[in-house]
Amino acid sequence: MRVALTIALLFIALGCAWLFVAHPWWFPAGVSAQAAALDHEFKVAFLLLGSLFIAGQIALAFFLLRSRRNGNALYHRGDWRFEIAWTLAIAALFFWFNVSGEKLWSRMMLHQPDADAVQIEVTGAQFQWYFRYSGADGVFGRTDAQKFARPEEGNPLGIDPADPVGHDDIVSAALVLPEDSDVELILRAQDVIHSVFIPAMRFKQDAVPGMSIHAHVRPIATGNYEIACAELCGTGHYRMRAPVRVLSQEQFAAWLNAQEKAKE
Amino acid sequence: MSLSSSSTSTHAGKSFLRRYLFSTDHKIIGVQYFFLSLAAALTGALLSLLMRIHLVWPKAALPFLGPMKPEDYLGFLTIHGTVMVFFVLSTLPQSGLGTYFLPLQLGAREMAFPALNMAGFWTTLVSFLVLMAALLAPGGASIAGWTQYAPLSAIATAGPGQGLGTDLWLVSIGLFCLGTMMSAIGFIATTVNRRAPGMRWMRMPLPCWAWFVTAILILLAFSLLLLALVLLLLDRHAGTSFFVPAGLVVSGKAVEHSGGSPLLWQHLFWFFGHPEVYIAILPAMGITSHLLSVFSRKPVFGYKAMVAAILAIGVLGFMVWGHHMFVSGMNPYGGFAFSSLTTAIAVPSAIKVFNWLGTIYGGRIRFSTPMLFSIGFVSLFITGGLTGPLLAQPALDAYLHDTYFVVAHFHLIMGMAGLFAIFAATYFWFPKMFGRMMNERLGALHFWITLAGAYAIFMPMHLLGAAGHPRRYSELTGVQYVATTAPLQVFITVAAVVTVGGQAVFLLNLFWSMYKGPKAGANPWDCSTLEWKDAGFDDRTPTVEHGPYEYSVPGAEKDFVAQDAPGNRIT
Amino acid sequence: MPITGEHVDVERKPKLGGGGPGKIPHRRGFGGGDDGDRDRFHDFHSRKARLHRLRVGMALCIVSVAGVFACLTLVFLLRRQIGPWDPARKTWVSDWGRLTLPYLMLWVNSAALLLSSGTLELARRRMQRQMEFADLGILPFRTQRDFPWLGLTVLLGFGFLGGQLMVWNHFRLQGAFVHTHPSSSFFLIFTGLHAIHLLGGLLALIYAAGGNWMQIRFDSQVLAVEVTAWYWHFMAVLWVAIFALLYFVR
Ligand code: HEA
Ligand code: HEA
Ligand code: CUA
Ligand SMILES: [Cu+2]
Repeated sequence: MRVALTIALLFIALGCAWLFVAHPWWFPAGVSAQAAALDHEFKVAFLLLGSLFIAGQIALAFFLLRSRRNGNALYHRGDWRFEIAWTLAIAALFFWFNVSGEKLWSRMMLHQPDADAVQIEVTGAQFQWYFRYSGADGVFGRTDAQKFARPEEGNPLGIDPADPVGHDDIVSAALVLPEDSDVELILRAQDVIHSVFIPAMRFKQDAVPGMSIHAHVRPIATGNYEIACAELCGTGHYRMRAPVRVLSQEQFAAWLNAQEKAKE
Repeated sequence: MSLSSSSTSTHAGKSFLRRYLFSTDHKIIGVQYFFLSLAAALTGALLSLLMRIHLVWPKAALPFLGPMKPEDYLGFLTIHGTVMVFFVLSTLPQSGLGTYFLPLQLGAREMAFPALNMAGFWTTLVSFLVLMAALLAPGGASIAGWTQYAPLSAIATAGPGQGLGTDLWLVSIGLFCLGTMMSAIGFIATTVNRRAPGMRWMRMPLPCWAWFVTAILILLAFSLLLLALVLLLLDRHAGTSFFVPAGLVVSGKAVEHSGGSPLLWQHLFWFFGHPEVYIAILPAMGITSHLLSVFSRKPVFGYKAMVAAILAIGVLGFMVWGHHMFVSGMNPYGGFAFSSLTTAIAVPSAIKVFNWLGTIYGGRIRFSTPMLFSIGFVSLFITGGLTGPLLAQPALDAYLHDTYFVVAHFHLIMGMAGLFAIFAATYFWFPKMFGRMMNERLGALHFWITLAGAYAIFMPMHLLGAAGHPRRYSELTGVQYVATTAPLQVFITVAAVVTVGGQAVFLLNLFWSMYKGPKAGANPWDCSTLEWKDAGFDDRTPTVEHGPYEYSVPGAEKDFVAQDAPGNRIT
Repeated sequence: MPITGEHVDVERKPKLGGGGPGKIPHRRGFGGGDDGDRDRFHDFHSRKARLHRLRVGMALCIVSVAGVFACLTLVFLLRRQIGPWDPARKTWVSDWGRLTLPYLMLWVNSAALLLSSGTLELARRRMQRQMEFADLGILPFRTQRDFPWLGLTVLLGFGFLGGQLMVWNHFRLQGAFVHTHPSSSFFLIFTGLHAIHLLGGLLALIYAAGGNWMQIRFDSQVLAVEVTAWYWHFMAVLWVAIFALLYFVR
């Protein structure tokens, strides 16, 4: 049993390590400005915690293997010097790790988007995403979902007809973004909590009803990606997706114009 | 009046009901809790299988149920999580084993409030039945998950199961709070003033420390949950607006409420919820520390440090709830504070792991089944625990939050580690509870199946999380990149079916041994603590002379010194 | 199935932990304390032990109740800050309704409650003394003379609850229901929760006062009062706190 356990624990340590090294499933390639830094932090995390994991399992296996078979067990009640040394060591390790992570967090959250960032209002509703562009005037029209929301009449967000600035607003079912420029997302929800999750951009932020949350992201590669809703919002949660299309800046401008035309 | 005579005399007068059913004897109540949790765990496991099957074969028709719908999946998910967290991990290690063994280990003759204790059990039982009733409610059980985030949980029209199903969930958990708090009060009072003479605080076995601190956590955490539940019920039925903001349109209809805040619910829930997960694991830690020492025939390594760690975890547990809310729209500055505090709480846990390893080191280990499961606990706790500090980083958690990575984290550390402690305790105390031994061979077989299963089921989930697979998805077909993970999901499902099937070995062993197992001696594991006080014991409460873990004391004639053995004090 | 928790080889020998099932002589009385078996070393039944035990239990109850109300206060203060989001003006607007409290009624109720706290204290002292006399055999065990104060307390307690009912009715007539606006819901929840908790204490007191007819042992009766007294005083203090809160933070 002694030996079997030892082998099993070694197998666990190495097997799990292999799983994370070979990683048949893994992060999608990062296509936003913050992805690189984040992936690096992930690498650090997996290295640090992974080695602690292996150390722990192997220590366990080794001590089991060393179990005495004759004579009494060691009569030892522990030793403050060990305790303190280990505590300081692990605390130092964890806090160094923690600080490095919080630096990253401050860079992600506290940095302001460029003044000319494109503003897009993202609204979640069971089980559909809507993306609103402010149009030529650069101002969003007033909305009141309870009064005016009519998905079937092409006004799912309830844009107030009486509000002139609202007339040129564009509502899209796909999130279309310009490459290499900051995008400010204004997250809102009509019914329950949803969450905008764009794995490829390492972006996630809940959309909470009653709040409008500002977040920003900077795509760095054109292509097609996906939003998956990441907060349980009901039976359709699993299919609440939306396509994300990153276009080069001129393509993006062209697309906006096309939408404007379509409105008239 | 000598006890033995009193016992024989009063014994006759007892009706079966008062003896085995409505008994105030802590031993009977402990056993009752045991079977309640057993039923709960089996229910939870069964539901997890149904979920797994629907996840990978959505079209598959189940016997009796026919093909499952997404709302069935979510309903089962909610009940699975609730049953496992509340009725298995918060009930058995604490209320169940604690009720049975706290007085025994402290050398008390009874719990401080036997009647209250009994009331606690029956309240818990009723709340379990109410929860099961939710499964049968029209529209099915609540689909809002065990966290019941508002407004989804506050608005009856937000989905099937959000009507009666959710009300039943709320009532059930409310009752559970009351029942658990009743037993917790008894625990604290017993520990404070029913300890045998000589049982100083620093001579209490570690499970008693864990039960005591956990009881305090329960008293604070569950009373607050109860308040939150009341407020939510008022939102649902009295038209108040605590958690529901203005201007909502749910399934095409305008919602009257105005001015509430969904984040308020999250704060209230997690202020309870995080202490809750430590309520779930502290007793397991205490029991494991105990068993590792017994079966390594060694004193616990750093007893004082262990006690300190339990207390530290208990205190810090109330300051970290925000780590569940990094991307909830909470002020980003909150992220800094909660992140550091969460990292801080990882340190006492690391100390415990270190001391467990220290306890095994240089031991003369007896590889009986309880020891096997304790070793499994340590391994799984390391595996599941180490993903904690990673999730504690707001930047990284922003990506992993609500993905399968989190599911992997808490199943390994809570689900599996917690369950391993339960199994270890079951094999260990079975002789005391039922007077017979369990079969060692079957025990070992059960251990290997479950260990392999635990890693096979939950390790791959880390990869799913890394690939960005969100939680609580009832099917894989909805999102394209999620669909690509199907093969791995199939593997997990198969592993789960095998693992749960393997539990048959345990059940067989349990019930077979109950009737046919070899009779147990007074102290089958050569333990030093009072619950194994051997039979010849006269009607005197013991006076405790030594610490709880005096194993392999040089010069002692046996390799353990019973806590109340006469002779010069060792600790 | 032997769920006796005893080692089977020594069937009926009593052991630690209250021995096997059903070994427990059952008596009617207050608190769980009367169950469990007698043991002359660790006197489970002596009045001192029971009192101490019950007080610890009561202290714990008080702590958790206090916790609930503290948390509710926090929610109250938080909720005052936030209101619905006005998309037009892009700001939070406060929907915190004005509430005119019926001060006269509230003051009268408060007076009744505080008074009852005093009378209960008198009752407690009195019964304690009688208990000692009874122990010395000076007085017969079951005596009616504790009644006036205890009865008065119960009456005042009911008076308070009645008063609260009138207050709630007053709001009903004003058209301020629990769902009308946050301030009304908070007022009703605060007072309602307090009333429910008070009712619990009231039942315990009725039990004690009615003890003479319900044939409970006198010392159990005294215990009931001794322990409930703490709770009752706590309820009074809690009420003052709530009143102050609702008075100053409206
Ligand atoms: C028993 C239950 C339990 C326990 C003990 C823990 C322990 C920890 N948990 Fe976990 N957690 C849950 C149950 C638990 N968790 C649950 C149920 C959820 C999800 C809730 C939901 O959303 O449904 C969750 C979610 C969760 C989150 C939120 C994730 C998200 O939703 O985005 C976070 C984030 O910080 C977190 C952190 C931690 C940390 C830091 C610990 C720490 O305490 C871990 C400490 C342990 C260690 C650090 C390991 C120590 C070992 C070593 C250091 C190795 C030793 C090596 C040698 C000796 C060589 N947990
Ligand atoms: C103690 C906690 C616990 C345990 C043991 C388990 C066990 C299992 N869980 Fe569970 N699970 C949760 C707690 C737990 N879970 C929680 C809190 C959630 C989140 C819910 C939510 O999102 O709201 C969750 C969610 C969850 C999901 C995520 C679903 C989703 O997000 O879409 C999945 C999916 O695979 C899953 C699967 C499983 C499986 C296959 C097991 C298997 O391990 C089952 C194997 C079971 C056993 C081996 C136990 C057998 C027990 C006995 C035989 C009796 C023992 C008792 C005594 C001795 C008295 N669980
Ligand atoms: Cu929207 Cu999940
Ligand atoms: Cu937590």
